[in-house]
Amino acid sequence: MKVIIFAVAGLLALCAPAFGTQCHVNPVNIPKEWITMRRPCRDSMRRQIQMEVAASLQYLAMGAHFSKDSINRPGFAKLFFESGSEERQHAMKLIEYLLMRGELTSDVTSLIQIRPPERKTWGDAVEALEHALKMESDVTKSIRTVIAACEDDNEFNDYHLVDYLTGEFLDEQYKGQRDLAGKASTLKKMLDRHASLGEFIYDKKLLGIDI
Amino acid sequence: MKAIIYSLFGLLAVSAAFAADACYQDVSLDCGQASNALSLPRCNAIYGEYGRHGNVATEMQAYANLHLERSYEYLLSAAYFNNYQTNRAGFSKLFKKLSDDAWEKSIDLIKHVTMRGDEMNFSQRSTQKPVERKNYTVELHELESLAKALDSQKELAERAFYIHREATRNSQHLHDSEIAQYLEEEFIENQSKKIRELAGHTTDLKTFITANNGQDLSLALYLFDEYLQKTA
Ligand SMILES: [Fe+2]
Repeated sequence: MKVIIFAVAGLLALCAPAFGTQCHVNPVNIPKEWITMRRPCRDSMRRQIQMEVAASLQYLAMGAHFSKDSINRPGFAKLFFESGSEERQHAMKLIEYLLMRGELTSDVTSLIQIRPPERKTWGDAVEALEHALKMESDVTKSIRTVIAACEDDNEFNDYHLVDYLTGEFLDEQYKGQRDLAGKASTLKKMLDRHASLGEFIYDKKLLGIDI
Repeated sequence: MKAIIYSLFGLLAVSAAFAADACYQDVSLDCGQASNALSLPRCNAIYGEYGRHGNVATEMQAYANLHLERSYEYLLSAAYFNNYQTNRAGFSKLFKKLSDDAWEKSIDLIKHVTMRGDEMNFSQRSTQKPVERKNYTVELHELESLAKALDSQKELAERAFYIHREATRNSQHLHDSEIAQYLEEEFIENQSKKIRELAGHTTDLKTFITANNGQDLSLALYLFDEYLQKTA
């Protein structure tokens, strides 16, 4: 009996637009000449968004590692948790850009996939900083391929997106890489002779504690 | 010799349940030994049998992962409502806020997992039946998306109830009031408010949609979005 009721309800739902309650406004048509992003450029932007998301999760795994009682480096944990949130912001900025250009009216759900981060332990803080630096270098390389895809299009050189990626994203990448490289160098020098004390002191420095 | 002493202490620890000076015993045993390594296996943050009985520890990891997933799903909903066709800045803001909250909570949960001496497992899933995800899409109209938001917020809230129960009365060998208190203060309290708010939104939209033979629909959605822009 219940089955029959459901089946009838299903049928009703199918023809609902004809006489049922309409809960949404029908889509309207707007001229589309202004939507000018080309497919290769759009696809590489989508891949870049996924890459930022993956980086955000990898940074969270670093934060989690350095938060463990057996590792106990809250300064590094803080640094990496913050980096994770920054990567999420990067994904959001790229999404905002696509929206501004008239994109993401469809295929939105498939834009982001959540996968567990690949790596979850690091031998010491230098190893983690160097891993972070490697990750950022990969992201930088990837942004450059997006730029290439967006300016090499024969029919449409996407100057504005290229400028945005170059000016905002590459700028932040290079500054971020310099920062990580500097931190890794300082720490590595300290670890040379005073491995455990060096990491301890630098961790507190990252927390803003002078000891 | 050392092994024997350890196993002896181990036996004692089991019988005592509260191995109050376990770390001290490790220190006493290891310091002054010929080897120059200290292992001190019981000098850790684990207490109250956390992670040793029941599934509280794994459910906490899974809860962090659930927040992560929801956070990015809400972010996509926020994006969808901000495209030029849907153009609902208020709905977008509502979902952006849900996303931000879920993101912050997932980081907070990860920190809490490690605070209790455990490590975070990003692959851990709950033993609780997940909400049906087949054909999941964020490309929904206004009322549908509010319905999904309400359902998923209830799932988060009910999961908190479940972990709370596992941490307290469901387990014979575990009564973790720290986890219970943490869930109450950081999750359960706000979740009830959020659920009520979303349910209220569906009530409002429901009446607007049916009022005036459905003639108010497009204006109602527009006005409600303006309202969300100011209040969400
Ligand atoms: Fe980034």
